[in-house]
Amino acid sequence: MELGAAKNRVIVYDAGLCTGCRYCEIACAVWHCGRIDVGQSRIRILFNAENRAEPYAAVNCQHCEEPLCATVCPSEAMRKDRETGWVTVNASTCIGCEMCRVACPLAVPVFDEAQKVAVKCDLCHGEPECVKHCSSRALWLAPREEALRVNERFYLAAGGNP
Amino acid sequence: MGTQAAQIYRFDASGCNGCDVEVVEILALLPGVDLGFEIAERPADAQVLIVTGGANLKSKAELQHAYAALKAPRLVVAVGSCAASMGIFKGGYSMTGPIDSIIPVDLYIAGCPPRPQVILGALAEALQLSVDGLEPLLRTPEGYRGDPHVDRETCVGCSACANVCPADAIEILDGEGRRVVRFRREACVFCGTCQDVCPTESVTLRPGDPSWYRAKGASTSEAALPLAQCGVCGVAFMPEAQLAWAMRRVEERRALDAADREAFRHSLHVCMACRRSRIPDVREAKRLLTSLEKKTAIVS
Repeated sequence: MELGAAKNRVIVYDAGLCTGCRYCEIACAVWHCGRIDVGQSRIRILFNAENRAEPYAAVNCQHCEEPLCATVCPSEAMRKDRETGWVTVNASTCIGCEMCRVACPLAVPVFDEAQKVAVKCDLCHGEPECVKHCSSRALWLAPREEALRVNERFYLAAGGNP
Repeated sequence: MGTQAAQIYRFDASGCNGCDVEVVEILALLPGVDLGFEIAERPADAQVLIVTGGANLKSKAELQHAYAALKAPRLVVAVGSCAASMGIFKGGYSMTGPIDSIIPVDLYIAGCPPRPQVILGALAEALQLSVDGLEPLLRTPEGYRGDPHVDRETCVGCSACANVCPADAIEILDGEGRRVVRFRREACVFCGTCQDVCPTESVTLRPGDPSWYRAKGASTSEAALPLAQCGVCGVAFMPEAQLAWAMRRVEERRALDAADREAFRHSLHVCMACRRSRIPDVREAKRLLTSLEKKTAIVS
């Protein structure tokens, strides 16, 4: 905890800038699975034209300071690296109980049916592909403190940015 | 069989050889005790056919020949998990099926491999040989791994056991608003991995009933858990007990204020599909995560 929130950088998403191009999903799938299969993407962009107030949203890992997924993980396979701030799954020790999926309010970890383990965003080891390929700069990397300030404005303030 | 020696023909249909070693052991198991088993060189000399391993492309026809050559009355014994279900070789490119898909099987002996005492006990029962005074020896001692049993009170139905099982011996059946966790006797290889990983320590492999059986399909143990319904779409998605376990775990390890705890409890009862596809739910989830993050930042 001494490292301080500012040293770790996380992905921030601004729904007001997103155009729904889903380049992030393609980039993520190509990086992690070697093919254009957006079903495998660790980030997910939602679009609903009927929802005028909030047409866009992203399901992306927040790499929480105290992750709920790691809190419930019974095998300590889901861990937060205090040095880097990344929350990652150790596939060798994951037992496939899906507790992380249950606990994460965004259900970020998905269950890999072939490997029988949870898989999730690993921040591409510091250089996220989704951020690199975002066409409208709706995704960016920010120090944790800045990310918190932005997210507070988006999600905690009344009438915040959708 | 009376005083006449029981002639046994052994057939390794493709396995790791572990069961074969245990079968040979029955001949020299108990000094001074002779139950009258003899190993036959040719199937035509034997009434008892002991098959180990799951059949593969090469052994299938040989197995059929051996069975056809047996003397009447035939007794076919499938020894070990592979013979019953192909065990850990299930899905192998050369495997053609469990033994009973090729020839009729009279008796199955569970184990990976079964202990020689168990093989002896099973054969003695099938051939109606007297084992007076030997019963304690034929029982699996305390502390050994036996059939898997699940504690219905503490199992949360997370299916970790099924996901780690190398032999696909644990079935997860979702339907009619409940999840059934079912341990299939014929497929279990008694490795104990389910017992190791169970987050609630609900699975134990303990010695119990005789380790042989005449009909497949029996379960050693099963648990049925009601599934929770998604608060948004109403679909039955995860066992209630699993959600409660996650809630308890978070409450034990984190100090959540009342509002966050309520928001977390609400998010638990939304199915994964809704959490990942409905914009209002995503927004609500990010609101909760930001709220938690803010408090962590203040603490640190």
